[in-house]
Amino acid sequence: MKLELGLIHVTDLQFGDVSKVEDHVVYINQEDIKNLILEDETIESVELHIAKPGESVRITPVKDVVEPRVKVSGNGGVFPGWTHKVDRVGEGRTHVLKGMACMTIGKIVGFQEGIIDMTGEGAKYTPFSQTLNFIMDIKPIEGLKQHDYEKAVRTANLKVSTFIGELARNVEPDEIEVYEHDNVLEGMKKYPDLPRVGYVLMLQSQGLLHDTYVYGVDAKQSLTTIIGPTELFDGAIVSGNCVSACDKNPTYIHENNPVITELLKEHGKTLNFVGVIITNENVYLADKMRSSDWSAKLCEFLGLDGAVISQEGFGNPDTDLIMNCRKIEAVGVKTVLITDEYAGQDGASQSLADATPEADAVVTGGNANVVIHLPKLDKVIGYTEYVDKIAGGWSGSLQPDGSIIAELQVITSATNEQGFNKLSAR
Amino acid sequence: MIIVTNNPDVKEKYEGIRQIEFVEGGYKDVLIRVRDLIFEGHELLTHPLMGSVKPNETPYRSIAVSRHAGKMDNDNAIMIAECMQTFEKFAAMGRRDRGRNTPEWLLEDFRYIDLTLISSAVDYH
Repeated sequence: MKLELGLIHVTDLQFGDVSKVEDHVVYINQEDIKNLILEDETIESVELHIAKPGESVRITPVKDVVEPRVKVSGNGGVFPGWTHKVDRVGEGRTHVLKGMACMTIGKIVGFQEGIIDMTGEGAKYTPFSQTLNFIMDIKPIEGLKQHDYEKAVRTANLKVSTFIGELARNVEPDEIEVYEHDNVLEGMKKYPDLPRVGYVLMLQSQGLLHDTYVYGVDAKQSLTTIIGPTELFDGAIVSGNCVSACDKNPTYIHENNPVITELLKEHGKTLNFVGVIITNENVYLADKMRSSDWSAKLCEFLGLDGAVISQEGFGNPDTDLIMNCRKIEAVGVKTVLITDEYAGQDGASQSLADATPEADAVVTGGNANVVIHLPKLDKVIGYTEYVDKIAGGWSGSLQPDGSIIAELQVITSATNEQGFNKLSAR
Repeated sequence: MIIVTNNPDVKEKYEGIRQIEFVEGGYKDVLIRVRDLIFEGHELLTHPLMGSVKPNETPYRSIAVSRHAGKMDNDNAIMIAECMQTFEKFAAMGRRDRGRNTPEWLLEDFRYIDLTLISSAVDYH
């Protein structure tokens, strides 16, 4: 299976009379976007904003971030099950508007999170301070229940990202990245001496504001299964997860999954990348048992030597992570875990809510409890009155001078557990 | 199944459908009651730390255990002990008032999230 990603480097993002991509600049006609979003009868109104790297702008509370893409050849369309019919993706060519991101904000529930600062201390911690951001502030009709509001916001972003991605269909890419992987049999024949490595991608699936969708299917209703690595690059996995800003995986990160990207780059060189196993993180303990049993079975069926396991979220997903680790190790497959830590503000406490001796190779995305001080910025897109209520904020977080003292966990993707974040020990 | 909860919305939705044990108290009191039920041999059905809403943020918690009580499950006993440790860790961080001085509109949202999380677990079973 081969997918070419045609990267179009976006140098500027502007509102304009006509929506188009020209000379690396994306122009957006506001009416085009508003009409698209307001097709949904549950949405009352929408305000659109642009924020650029270096500007004195704070965006909060951020729901999801999506990278606009378009499928120019090969089967299916981006975000199958959402903006295109359910059809297999991951082959052919996809154009990517690299350097921009579409993000949604909105008051779904009171305790919300996700701060993106475009400059200053906070900008250091989020990858989305480096992107040209198109922001949609979506308000629901009166009386809309929170779960319907979340769905409306999620769907709106996918529609808008598909629309903007479509503008890049006939643009000549600046760069082509080629990602190729073999089926199990080919890989085994071509690279008999390389270690067989798989990736176990854990998806948040606990319920409202904590869900993930695969080809439109709610992951909590799915057994652990296998997905082609390049399918993610076409938006096969979509985030409906609005909480735990620092360690959730926005759709953007699924589209750019760094573990998959690196494993594909190493395929045939240092390892044989056999495949991606997706497994959920449900609340029901029997589901956890079943899903982790299945992860281990699939690792065993694929004859893996090693597996990278990445987590999403904190708390009860720690149990899924540890169950996956223990069971996969028990079938003779070595594991490396990617997680993050809630080790207290001084870093001295136990990092995870669960542990096992087999978890002896662990990569951390950082300590989410570290306290940071974000300066007052000139402009706020969204609602800072929520800062006192979000995870990692507390009464008094929002200072009288407009600055914010809070834990790192308030920052979108600060301790991302796929390694898409900016913290490093190097 | 028995749903141990301090969330009135959960009580309201499941009263008459599921066995409810309503706890007058906080998050920790729910954990303590579930721990005792585990000690009595009830099986833990849902993870006590469900949701990414941290124990020092929401005052509400709902946990499902089996109606049947048999021999105590050691793994369950370890899990609830670890969850209580995690609760204490977050409680020691202070911060949120866990219900005290929290405005009603925010409590409403905490109740709603707790309800939807426990519903997404128990409605399938």
